[in-house]
Amino acid sequence: MASVMRPGLLRQSFASPAASQRVFSTFTSSAARQSSPLIQQLRPAFARDAVPKATRIAAFHATQRQQILPPLPQKIEGSVNTAVPVPNPDYSHGSYHWSFERLLAAGLVPLTVAPFAAGTLNPLTDSILCALLVLHSHIGFESCIIDYFPEKRIPKLRVAAHWALRIATVGLGVALYSFETNDVGITELVARLWHA
Amino acid sequence: MASQRVFQLGLRRAAAPSFMIQPAGRMVQRRLANTISKESGEEILAKQRLHRPVSPHLSIYKPQITWYASGLNRVTAVILSGGLYIFGIAYLAAPTLGWHLESQSLVAAVAAWPLWAKATAKFTVAMPFFFHCVNGLRHLAWDVGVGFKNATVVRTGWTVVAATFALSAYYSFFH
Repeated sequence: MASVMRPGLLRQSFASPAASQRVFSTFTSSAARQSSPLIQQLRPAFARDAVPKATRIAAFHATQRQQILPPLPQKIEGSVNTAVPVPNPDYSHGSYHWSFERLLAAGLVPLTVAPFAAGTLNPLTDSILCALLVLHSHIGFESCIIDYFPEKRIPKLRVAAHWALRIATVGLGVALYSFETNDVGITELVARLWHA
Repeated sequence: MASQRVFQLGLRRAAAPSFMIQPAGRMVQRRLANTISKESGEEILAKQRLHRPVSPHLSIYKPQITWYASGLNRVTAVILSGGLYIFGIAYLAAPTLGWHLESQSLVAAVAAWPLWAKATAKFTVAMPFFFHCVNGLRHLAWDVGVGFKNATVVRTGWTVVAATFALSAYYSFFH
């Protein structure tokens, strides 16, 4: 039954030549008026395609576009409504890790204040300061890698950065051990350089 | 059949008043929308996503001490830890490369600098160091749940800036 009605309806919509011209033309008569978001929504879907794409999109942008990192070709994995995967709860990556970081940071406070108050540290406390600095720095750089090397965009570079950081941290540990045992220790070094 | 159709149309008009304005356009639009397959729909979505604003777009935010201090906390951290890493790895590599990075050589090298260079170098190192230290105390306070009110965050932020300048100037030029 509906198919019987359709030819009539189509004929009706193309009855006025001006209307059909407007629908299928890529050159719009008054681009500013026709590209407003509200008018876009009120217009039939096939008429929306006829408006130049840049004009249509510019209507939604209130700020200047800045392509610092242009978007990659988009692919939709699963369906549009697939939920974000929720990682399994893991205390050692969650709250314990967080508390450990805070303990490290809090432990650094007295070790940082002490040299200012009492001159350079003795070798034991200096070594503890070095160990805490290594761990604190490693965790900090790890957060930077996680934040700035997104897994979706640069998965291999991210893995490489993680391994480079692990190697550098072990290297720093060995270097500081060597410096602490063979030389004067870092607080004493800073003090001597400061008054050089 | 025809009477049934008329009855249906009448029901639709009653349900959707806007249907009365342009029945032709509405019907055609609905039919086209139904013919889009899942694949072509996803293709359209993928194309649309390319036109979204891109996330790292810091210049659209108003400069405020809250997020400036937060960003500076990480920047200073990277400067300080980066310096430590570079020194450590250079110290490891020094015997192989023939460099002299033991404390006596470093102190002797710095001692040969003119006064203005020493003061500038001290101030350049002291600024990130004191900023990260003092702002670290602020972060530790937040971690135990203290100082979360917006006005407090702004006040402590500017306090950190003032303390950084004061401590850096004192230890660079008067110590």
